[in-house]
Amino acid sequence: MDILLLILIIPFVCGVVMFVMPLHFKLLQSFHILLSLIVSSLLLSAVSKVVHGAELSAFDNFIFLDSLGAIFLSLIAITGLLVNIYATTYMKWELEDGHVSLKEVKNYFALSFIFTWTMSLSVVCNNIAFMWAAIEATTLASVFLVSVKKDQKSTESGYKYIVLCSIGLAFALYATILLYSAANGKIDGDAMLYTNLIANAGNLDSMALKLVFIFALIGFGTKAGLAPTHTWLPDVHAEGPAPTSALLSGVLLKCAMLGLIRYYAIVANGVGFDFVQSVMIISGTLTLFISSFFLIRQHNVKRMFAYHSIAHMGVIAFGLGVGGAIGLFAALFHCAAHSFTKALAFCSTGNIAKIYGTKDMTKMGGMIHIAPLTAVLFGIAICSLVGVPGFAIFVSEFLIFKAAAINGSYLLMGIFAVALAIIFIADFSHFFLASFGKVEGKVVHNSEMKFSENIPLIALAILIVAFGIWQFDSFTVLLDESVKTIMKK
Amino acid sequence: MINFIDVITVLMMGTSLMVFGLRKYKLSIYAYALQTLLLVIVFLLLHFKYGAHELLLWAFTAFLMKVVFVPLFLLKLVNKLSIINEDEPVGGFFISPVIALSFSLAVSMMFYKVFVHFSIFKDALPLFAASFIFMIGIFGFILRNSFLKQILAYCLFENGIHLSLALMAYNSHELVEIGILTDAIFAVVIMSILAKRFYASYDSLDTSKAVNLRG
Repeated sequence: MDILLLILIIPFVCGVVMFVMPLHFKLLQSFHILLSLIVSSLLLSAVSKVVHGAELSAFDNFIFLDSLGAIFLSLIAITGLLVNIYATTYMKWELEDGHVSLKEVKNYFALSFIFTWTMSLSVVCNNIAFMWAAIEATTLASVFLVSVKKDQKSTESGYKYIVLCSIGLAFALYATILLYSAANGKIDGDAMLYTNLIANAGNLDSMALKLVFIFALIGFGTKAGLAPTHTWLPDVHAEGPAPTSALLSGVLLKCAMLGLIRYYAIVANGVGFDFVQSVMIISGTLTLFISSFFLIRQHNVKRMFAYHSIAHMGVIAFGLGVGGAIGLFAALFHCAAHSFTKALAFCSTGNIAKIYGTKDMTKMGGMIHIAPLTAVLFGIAICSLVGVPGFAIFVSEFLIFKAAAINGSYLLMGIFAVALAIIFIADFSHFFLASFGKVEGKVVHNSEMKFSENIPLIALAILIVAFGIWQFDSFTVLLDESVKTIMKK
Repeated sequence: MINFIDVITVLMMGTSLMVFGLRKYKLSIYAYALQTLLLVIVFLLLHFKYGAHELLLWAFTAFLMKVVFVPLFLLKLVNKLSIINEDEPVGGFFISPVIALSFSLAVSMMFYKVFVHFSIFKDALPLFAASFIFMIGIFGFILRNSFLKQILAYCLFENGIHLSLALMAYNSHELVEIGILTDAIFAVVIMSILAKRFYASYDSLDTSKAVNLRG
């Protein structure tokens, strides 16, 4: 059977299998890991075909996998797998502490496969309306991953998540309809297909394209966490379980960003890069400064990382805004670097919350003595997030500086440097607060987690360092091809 | 000669104000059902006027899903929660519809001209109505505190989008319409489950009481 069909059928089937499993934790745990491995290997095998130059498409080109989609599919496969493995540990703790029931754990595992299915669907859709539907479906599939408990805060976070994302995405649907009607009859073939739209972008009306891009930015930007419509993110991350936050921040935001990048490519090729770059610079700068301002004031470790996600979406927008082949390469690389980093960051907050029984960093301290491995992993996440050389995020941030320098945009370099400096100061002060000094609050779990429980976190840390110091040829091929597609050269 | 499509879309605009403004939840839901029935009739009229055979299937699915299923589902929710009237919204029951009406008219005036330029069917008034209904939905979220009213606001802007879709992109693949409709139905069901939870936690549907999480 076609690999594209398999990657759309198998995750859904896995979700259904998990729903009908008996209520036995060990069994659920083993199946969750096993099925995650199967799903991720399938996704990666599709990606490897694209790396080797194949062009995958099915259903009359209704779904396809290009190099751009393959980058994001590999994130779903790798980050998704490691987070899903960590989720089995995290849910075991939640179950032992009596915060969730076994049935809720089973539903959580099942829904995480449905969530993976909707995300995979969103990156392989060639039909832009169906891509919109898949991105909206990611919201619907993840509401109960966020709102696992039934208390006030959990319900409130679920409410904010679905309402804000649904309103935002409605604008993206309008963008889709407008783009279709503007292209219908003016281009060869079906005007709903992304491949047709980008190939004939030059024939489209520039006024319509500009309006389409603004609508798409509001729509996908809301879901991706770009300011000023980012407000759902901190609340959702603060309340959702650590693995949910890791999946949302590590993978979901990138899927919405992919939607925006596809519109960016069409509009840029239709009306020229100046327009989309100007819009993205404004959006990126606004997002960077709003998030860094709120970042300084945060003491809740998960809320802090949520503002970080917003800031890094701002970095991606900034990369798209600086533009040029290097700027685009940097923005796409940042998607991967941030995915691994943020997954590690949020998963380590799971360990931290287990140790201290709180998410408030002013009540922590001395983590390096209590749980040295967790402290080191937390440190690696922080180092990458602030762009320390040798860690993945440094590469993309450095490339953005380089792209700006080549363009002669020294003002942009200055703005970017100031925003990164604020994030640097905020992060390290928080990191030292939690990891060193004496314990300020109480310690609930006075030891390191088991090594086996930390394996997915260690794997993520290795990926962060590896992407920081090594150039992976196959990944670079995907990035180069994607940049060529966007720039049509 | 009277253009029936124009008349019906104006009626749809009126019903959207009713959905937004009525205090009694059940009346709001009936107004929504009526609006969606009018939407189905617009689909049928467009089908006959332009020979757009896709719209016949859309009319049938929209009738089953949005005229029958969604209103019945929401009525069941209202009965289960035993709530009759909406709590006082932002600015009161009188001011909020006036604000929504004026701003929606202004925004639609701006957008319909752009839409007419590119639309497959160049019917100006229905395109105006589509953006008006969409905007009333957006204002429903902003100006009404009730969770149930916000679900209805979602249904409203979803109707606005469907009207735009029929006028501007009816000839897209059938799967597109089915995908969008399925999303909308799931969204209403999930929001309703959350609304039930919300009521159980806060003993009210007033979302302004949800202040545990702030930015």
